[in-house]
Amino acid sequence: MEELSGEEKKPWAPVAEMVRERSKEGKIVSQKELLKELAAQGSKAHRAETAEAELFRKAFEENEDLKELRDQDEEAWLYSSKWMSEAYAKALVRRRGDPLLLMAETIRENSLKYPRPIPLHLFQDLPFEMTEEEIESCLGKMKNLEGYEDIAQTTTSIGTVFLYSKAHLDPDHAAMLAEWLDVGQFNNP
Amino acid sequence: MVRYGGWSGKVLRVDLSSGRIWTEDTIEKYRDFLGGTGIGYKVLWDEVPAGTKPFDPGNKIIFGVGPLAGTGAPCNGRTAITTLWPTCSPMPLVATGHMGGHFAAALKYAGYDAIVIEGKADRPVWLSIVDQKVEIKDARRLWGQGIRRTTIDISQEIGAEASVAAIGQAGENLVPMSVVINSFSHSAGGVGAVMGSKNLKAIGVLGTGSVHIAADKSEWEKLIKLHLSLLGANNQHVVPNSPQPWAEYYSPGSRWVASKGRRWGAADPPLETGTCDPHEVNRIAYRTNNAAYFLGKEIWKYTIRGNGCTSCPIRCHTMLKVPAAKAKYGFSEVGQNTCVGLLFGRSFFKTIPDGPQGQTALEACMVGMHLADDLGIWCNYGQLQRDLIKLYYDGYIKQKLGEKEFKSYSWDKYEKGDPTFLMELLPRIANKDGELATALGLGTGYMLARWGISEEEWKKDYNAVYWKMGHPKHHSNEDAGQCGVIINTQYNRDAQCHSHSNFTRNGLPLEVQKRLAAEIWGSPDAVDAVGAYTPMNRYKARMAKWSLLRKELHDSLSLCNWMGPWVASPLKERGYRGDDSLESLLYSLATGDRKSREELDQVAERIFLLHRALTIRDMGTVEMRTKHDTIPAWVFYDPAGKAPFSKGTNRMDPKDMETAMDMFYEEMEWDPKTGAPTESAYRKVGLAAVADELKKKGGLP
Repeated sequence: MEELSGEEKKPWAPVAEMVRERSKEGKIVSQKELLKELAAQGSKAHRAETAEAELFRKAFEENEDLKELRDQDEEAWLYSSKWMSEAYAKALVRRRGDPLLLMAETIRENSLKYPRPIPLHLFQDLPFEMTEEEIESCLGKMKNLEGYEDIAQTTTSIGTVFLYSKAHLDPDHAAMLAEWLDVGQFNNP
Repeated sequence: MVRYGGWSGKVLRVDLSSGRIWTEDTIEKYRDFLGGTGIGYKVLWDEVPAGTKPFDPGNKIIFGVGPLAGTGAPCNGRTAITTLWPTCSPMPLVATGHMGGHFAAALKYAGYDAIVIEGKADRPVWLSIVDQKVEIKDARRLWGQGIRRTTIDISQEIGAEASVAAIGQAGENLVPMSVVINSFSHSAGGVGAVMGSKNLKAIGVLGTGSVHIAADKSEWEKLIKLHLSLLGANNQHVVPNSPQPWAEYYSPGSRWVASKGRRWGAADPPLETGTCDPHEVNRIAYRTNNAAYFLGKEIWKYTIRGNGCTSCPIRCHTMLKVPAAKAKYGFSEVGQNTCVGLLFGRSFFKTIPDGPQGQTALEACMVGMHLADDLGIWCNYGQLQRDLIKLYYDGYIKQKLGEKEFKSYSWDKYEKGDPTFLMELLPRIANKDGELATALGLGTGYMLARWGISEEEWKKDYNAVYWKMGHPKHHSNEDAGQCGVIINTQYNRDAQCHSHSNFTRNGLPLEVQKRLAAEIWGSPDAVDAVGAYTPMNRYKARMAKWSLLRKELHDSLSLCNWMGPWVASPLKERGYRGDDSLESLLYSLATGDRKSREELDQVAERIFLLHRALTIRDMGTVEMRTKHDTIPAWVFYDPAGKAPFSKGTNRMDPKDMETAMDMFYEEMEWDPKTGAPTESAYRKVGLAAVADELKKKGGLP
């Protein structure tokens, strides 16, 4: 009988490394993608008769930095907490789904947690990378959609639009904080 | 005989009237006051009687550094300059200016912990310090020159490695609103004219020695590595300003602006700042770009690199290359500064074409920096600019100037936000050329008196943010509610305290800030969400006391209060905790004089109380609460009429602030009626002799 190599004995070993590499680059990776890559590499992990579930279960067991998030279609996405925060990974997972939900949940979290409104242009940068048109379209839809009534806007004295959730932030407070973040802090160096 | 580390061991004394130069033993005379402002206050208390004026030969100017200056401790590049303050109105009182750069380290390497200058030379001179060789040299060829030419000239004489602190024409002409500058862009405001009054053009220091560290080398290195690991970006902002893969939190208001795609575009080759994981301590210098922070993301393409003080990895000065500065205005393309110094030029204009982050704003900043930093003009934390705006748009300038002088200024350019206006105004301020320039150069308090304008008029203006005694607020209620207001009542110029604002602006979510606040000041109620303030409590008073004492400690040790204290950190694995004992650990290891955090805080309290004693003595009153610790009317105002303690306002409540001052005095163990330290408060911190002297003069409650 053929002697099993290290990788054959532990076919889940490359999984952790692949996830860490992606996380270091600021990316998450789905289970499906991982399996495809393992197959493409001719990984013995794929040729071995290890069930997929078992593969990932062992990988998680032995690598406590490996974490998983599920998107709205219940697809599993992996990241390494050594290189990526849960907050960032969540944003990347949301990015793959409904952009309305991405924006709304981000706005709500900021209004609740910090608390603060956030500038509209934030959604153009990483990890969101939405276009101006996408952002405008989402804001337009939110105005008329049930479940998004709490999302509101305020504009600072220099014309920057900030977004907040009325469920967590009083409108006057949001306006004042937006002005502070956009103008006040820079006038009080 | 104990050999301490940290201190060089000598204080240099220079009498410019007699030409006498001598030294004192730092440890023998000043150890209990550490260095920096501590030495400054001690000298003024012991040697400069009440009634002395800033430009009298009997006034002394003390350039003090602390035992940590010139060591490997991060953020140690500060020199504290203590003297009687020319812009403090209606009477001069003790105050301090602070400059970064390389002067502090150079002084230590030359073998000195402080320079005390008194008297007045009979002709322009500069002080040459080359290690132990100290000479008073003729400066007549330098007099009338700007700071830059003076710096080059002196460096050519004593060595390119020298650090030169020089005044410009403003200081020479005894303009109270003047600075001393070293290392191109590192200024200390308010002291230029005191040097000018002594005919002292500059101090050039070349030091080839080193600073002895008492501790075992590995112990010291371990502590430095700990300190580095806890650093955030400028002002100890501990989260990035946009989402980063490693970061759980971020804040659009953070000065941690590094990110993938943000590059120092004018570097050769351009340099990517990257994501700057906080564990990568070799990338600390990439985190901050204050020019981009203040002037917008277009600035990245003009950024050469960061710059800053000796041994500080933060690099809070930004070096810019702006071709228009030369092409349109005839100044060098390259300029550098930070914060208020960077914004000096733009801040004069109420409106500016293409907005506060447009191209014209950038050009105004470059023109302003080059002019102010060469002529040596001080902005009084932006009050100079706010005063000009108010004086012009409220009609005072037209009213107070004669027609000829009024027409001599291009007010159309001023209204349009044309940076060339600065080329008219700033040289005139430096040379006291005309009534407007002279008045502006006096500082706000004396300017108002000269023009017969009521100080109350300024105190009620929400936009002027004037506080008292000629100076503005500096991180007040907008940053930290009642704690910020208390802090702003305590000094004789703007408070320059960042202990509290560094914390409230660190970018962490409120629940994390509250958790840390509970650990440091005893309750999560010490901090509120900005703009959602709650009534006063004793934990806020504790935070105010801690903030003030730590500021004095930093100014005496030579640690940068624009960075410390380091009670929050970017490290999730520490729960975002910093270390509240860092100052005492650094002090103990550097000097060998082991002190706990509490013991060192008591030394800081001694230094702070000495400042208070000086103020009481020189004001000739013990009624500090009503005559000194005052709060301007605008603090109790909201433009939209919102009530105090409602969400969306920084407006304070007068009764609540009375309670706040009561609680603060109680925390300090001062008399609540007068706001003056009691005899036992002085004795508790080792100032019995000060208490005795004040007792004779009615300076105790």
